[in-house]
Amino acid sequence: MDTSRSYLEPSSFSKKIAAAIIIVYTVITLIPISWMVMTSFKNVDSAISYPPEVLFEPSLEGYVNLFTNRSRQSVEYLDSLPAPETWYEELVRSREMVITGPSKFLGRYSNSMIIGFGSTFASVFLGALAAYAFSRFRVPLKDDLLFFILSTRMFPPIAVAVPIFIMYRKLGLGDTHVGMIILYTVVNLSLAVWLLKGFMDEIPKEYEEAAMIDGYTRLQAFFKVVLPQAMTGIAATAIFCMIFSWNEYAFAVLLTQFNAQTAPPFIPTIIGEGGLDWPAIGAGTTLFLLPVMIFTIILRKHLLRGITFGAVRK
Amino acid sequence: MAKVELKNLNKIYNKKIEALQDINLTIEDGQFFVLLGPSGAGKTTTLRCIAGLEKIDSGSILFNEEPVTEDQPASRDVCFVFQQYSLYPHYSVYENLAFPLRSPMRKLPEEEIKNKVENIAAMLKISNKLNNKATQLSGGEMQRVAIGRALVREPNIYLMDEPLSSLDAKLRETLRVELKNIQTNLKATILYVTHDQAEATTLADKIGVLKEGKIVQIGTPEEIYENPDSIYVSQRLGSPKINILPSSLFGMADNITTIGIRPENISVGSGQYSGKIISVENLGSETVVAISFKEHEILASIQGNYKSSINETINFDINAQKVLNFDEKGNRIYEH
Repeated sequence: MDTSRSYLEPSSFSKKIAAAIIIVYTVITLIPISWMVMTSFKNVDSAISYPPEVLFEPSLEGYVNLFTNRSRQSVEYLDSLPAPETWYEELVRSREMVITGPSKFLGRYSNSMIIGFGSTFASVFLGALAAYAFSRFRVPLKDDLLFFILSTRMFPPIAVAVPIFIMYRKLGLGDTHVGMIILYTVVNLSLAVWLLKGFMDEIPKEYEEAAMIDGYTRLQAFFKVVLPQAMTGIAATAIFCMIFSWNEYAFAVLLTQFNAQTAPPFIPTIIGEGGLDWPAIGAGTTLFLLPVMIFTIILRKHLLRGITFGAVRK
Repeated sequence: MAKVELKNLNKIYNKKIEALQDINLTIEDGQFFVLLGPSGAGKTTTLRCIAGLEKIDSGSILFNEEPVTEDQPASRDVCFVFQQYSLYPHYSVYENLAFPLRSPMRKLPEEEIKNKVENIAAMLKISNKLNNKATQLSGGEMQRVAIGRALVREPNIYLMDEPLSSLDAKLRETLRVELKNIQTNLKATILYVTHDQAEATTLADKIGVLKEGKIVQIGTPEEIYENPDSIYVSQRLGSPKINILPSSLFGMADNITTIGIRPENISVGSGQYSGKIISVENLGSETVVAISFKEHEILASIQGNYKSSINETINFDINAQKVLNFDEKGNRIYEH
């Protein structure tokens, strides 16, 4: 029997079992995502072929279709045109179509970026200020206020869709970036305040007191000393807020249409000839996945530390 | 540096806990003033009030005769060395030391900051650690940097809240000596809080003894040791502890209820009293002998290594000149 290992450490056998379970689980969860990515690189025919093609010749048709508007033309007309100048024009011509202009996708995508990052920044910033105040100052009715803030999340936000719709119309906030940023910030703020308050409570007040004695005002001390200390909490909070506002669908459908429409309500509406253009939808969702993924990977180190925060602290 | 005065200072927490009651204190320019007292006596509160971290309920605080009672902490220009959590963990040692100099109140040119930081680092022997992260330091180094961060400035007063208490005994002693040297060289005004009597006696020019939010006696370490006003003060200094005994044991005058005798004022070997040895503690330079006498324990401190065994009967005597007399309230009676 192996006696060299500590009693607290799992045996190599149970470690292998754990690894196997994790691998199986990872593969299962990754299948839809990899299928989506694969679809984005198929052409229109192979995407809907039956039985499904696992091995296929990769094509960028989906991405070209995602970013362009096209119209079908007669062969005679196509022949009369000068030779295509770019690879994507060539690809479209081979389908007997011409590019008539860029699609709306880029605009919807940047709307998502502006609204997603804007509301994340606003929730984290306001949340951090509120959390600091709740953590440090003697706020009258502190517990009741905190409970009130939490209670704003006790029903699904869509439950108030109708009043918000009417309010936004009266206030002229419907289909505007500012309106959507405000809405997502309001929804995320309670989570941000609660999460960040926990992190702020863990930061000894001596740090900012030292800074205040060293010649800084409370606000300067907050930015110079408290915020860097709360980085882990801020990262974790930012990811949660970002995921929510990036993925939000219901309000986006309801409140945005032309000007501030985000990617989620737009992507399913990409329709090709004779049905849904699956490669283009795959391309849209793949690109849609990227920002949150990159954002999470960048903040991953903080996130892991954020989740174990308190447990490892001396 | 400044002369710091506290006048009739009162601080009440949560409308009922009287943390400080009518504190009157003058710390002269260049003086090393130590506040001594057990935890909860109001030592830290006094420091925090001077720093402006706590609002006082009444009274006034004066720096060089100028009232600063209403000023923000930043504009009071004081330094505070905390007991722990003393460094900004996200900064390097250099940045920690430079932090106060870069504040909007001062904004020194980087060149000057560099000079000052390097001087202080050399003085505290941490020059080779300047690029370390604050979290990559040992406890002793951290506290050195914390003291350094205070010393880069020339404030009105340095406030130190048990800065050495989290260190081990040997390091504490080294830093204590260094601190006293630095203070003498800089002629710094320091208000230092401790419950460690060795720190109090070695560092202090003046000691203020606090009891439940009140100053009970102020004096030089010698005065506090030799002439305490009360039993409470007499117990603050001296190791081994002073013997507090009912006066009837040695047949004293009626108005005296309690007497205090320091262990070094008891001689053993011969004398009019005899008791049984209950413990012998050899500390190297002295030996502490506990004697059972009329059901009371008396500690005697004897120079050198004293050979004796437990349960042995021993004769001892007290130095009557050095006996401190107290009344029933524990206050000192001066006339014999």
